Amino acid sequence: MAPFIQAQKLTLSFRPKNREPVTALSDFYLEVGKGEFVSIVGPSGCGKSTFLNIVLGLIKPDSGEIHLNGARITGPGQERAMVFQEFGLLPWRTVTANVELGLELKGIPPAQRAERATELIQLVGLKDFASHYPHELSGGMKQRVGLARALATEPEVLLMDEPFAALDAQTRDLMQMELLQIWEHTKKTVLFVTHSIEEAAYLSDRVVVMTARPGRTKDILNIDLPRPRDYEMRLTPEFNEIKLRIWDVLKEELTSRG
Amino acid sequence: MRAKKYFSEHRRLWLALCSFFFLFTAWELMLTYIFPVNPFFFTKPSLIAAAFKEQFQGTKLWHDLAVSSQAFLWGFSFAVIVGIPVGLVMGWRKRVEYSLDPFLTALYASPLVALAPLFIIVFGVGVLGKAALVFLLAVFPFIFNAFAGVKSTDSLLINVIRSYGGSEKDLYLKVILPSTMPYIIAGARLAIGRGLVGVIVGEFYAASEGIGFAITQAGDTYRLPDMFVGIIILSLIAVGLTELMRKLELMVAPWRTTDEVR
Repeated sequence: MAPFIQAQKLTLSFRPKNREPVTALSDFYLEVGKGEFVSIVGPSGCGKSTFLNIVLGLIKPDSGEIHLNGARITGPGQERAMVFQEFGLLPWRTVTANVELGLELKGIPPAQRAERATELIQLVGLKDFASHYPHELSGGMKQRVGLARALATEPEVLLMDEPFAALDAQTRDLMQMELLQIWEHTKKTVLFVTHSIEEAAYLSDRVVVMTARPGRTKDILNIDLPRPRDYEMRLTPEFNEIKLRIWDVLKEELTSRG
Repeated sequence: MRAKKYFSEHRRLWLALCSFFFLFTAWELMLTYIFPVNPFFFTKPSLIAAAFKEQFQGTKLWHDLAVSSQAFLWGFSFAVIVGIPVGLVMGWRKRVEYSLDPFLTALYASPLVALAPLFIIVFGVGVLGKAALVFLLAVFPFIFNAFAGVKSTDSLLINVIRSYGGSEKDLYLKVILPSTMPYIIAGARLAIGRGLVGVIVGEFYAASEGIGFAITQAGDTYRLPDMFVGIIILSLIAVGLTELMRKLELMVAPWRTTDEVR
């Protein structure tokens, strides 16, 4: 059976004005099964986010192919939604209106939108803030709105681009736990880009380590820790051993760049 | 103690009122005791106040105001209707930007009131000529501010809309226009000042009614208090409209309350 998401030999260069072209991705491959949680780690600028944007359909690769459920990805689509690092909330819309955005763009009628938004706002624990504006919320709350907005359109694939990087450490721990809970009961396929080895190890079924630019798939590690996972698990020797394994692979890429 | 607290809380208002009070008192005293100038050549607040009272009771002032307002509103409305879309499209479409920019920049930088005689010849001395002049002066702040607003639109938000399959129209209506609104309102503040200049200059050149005409007529016949009535009413209107825009700015962009724009 073909994998749910299949990226083959993806290559992409950027051509900034008056400068040498930069190869962001080179022969990148990845296969992801349905319902799998896969994290991507790698040095800064290795093309992790670029890859997510290709899956999202906002960027087209120069060569190579990307398939979702057997169909080639040529643009944005229903089945994919992104959670952005800097939240990407519309400042002139309330929490509810932000959560409704994706549904609105897909032409879902207002009554249905409102119902679905209420449900998701409840899910991410923002019931009392439904009519607040983003500037009245903390970073953690903003990202909950971002997550609710992405989930509202009922995507099969959730793309997360360093979603917790802009949050403080404690909020981050909390959000990771909540994300796991939501993932366990919605069974979405998740592609999660992060800089944090700990985060990748804690959340994922598999961790993809990318090389320094141009980004290639360097290694894919299985995280065979039992689920459901909790915070205490992060204190076990097994968990540390996995972190060390990821670090060993990643280390060479970080040092090779000087 | 309580009075002290009250004054420190409202000191902005009180200090402003005080400075007005002192200015007018000083002006009055200077002209009464120090330089008792012939009232033909300069005037003082007490005479202006009397003129105000007289004019408020008459009908000419109200008629002039109505005439000038009409020209202003027509010109300003067209400036909004034309300026905002042109600015938005210019900001979003490089080709439009490159073709219009040199031409518009040249016009914006030029003292356009120099065109007043031409406009009066082409459009006549009535409302149309003045409205055209108001339009010409007021349209540029709308164009350039809408343009700047589009340029500063967060590209992340554009990507968000695109990622949910939003169309070009969605980009305009759901991101570009709302994020440009505060810029447009700031443009409106500039446009109000320029538009008023348009009306007044139009009426200076050729008119038989309107506030600008009333001012020149009062000046020509050495009725200085009446002239000041016109000038003060104009500045009150300008301040009122500008403050209204400020309030509006806070309303459409509550997330920007932290920056004090003037």
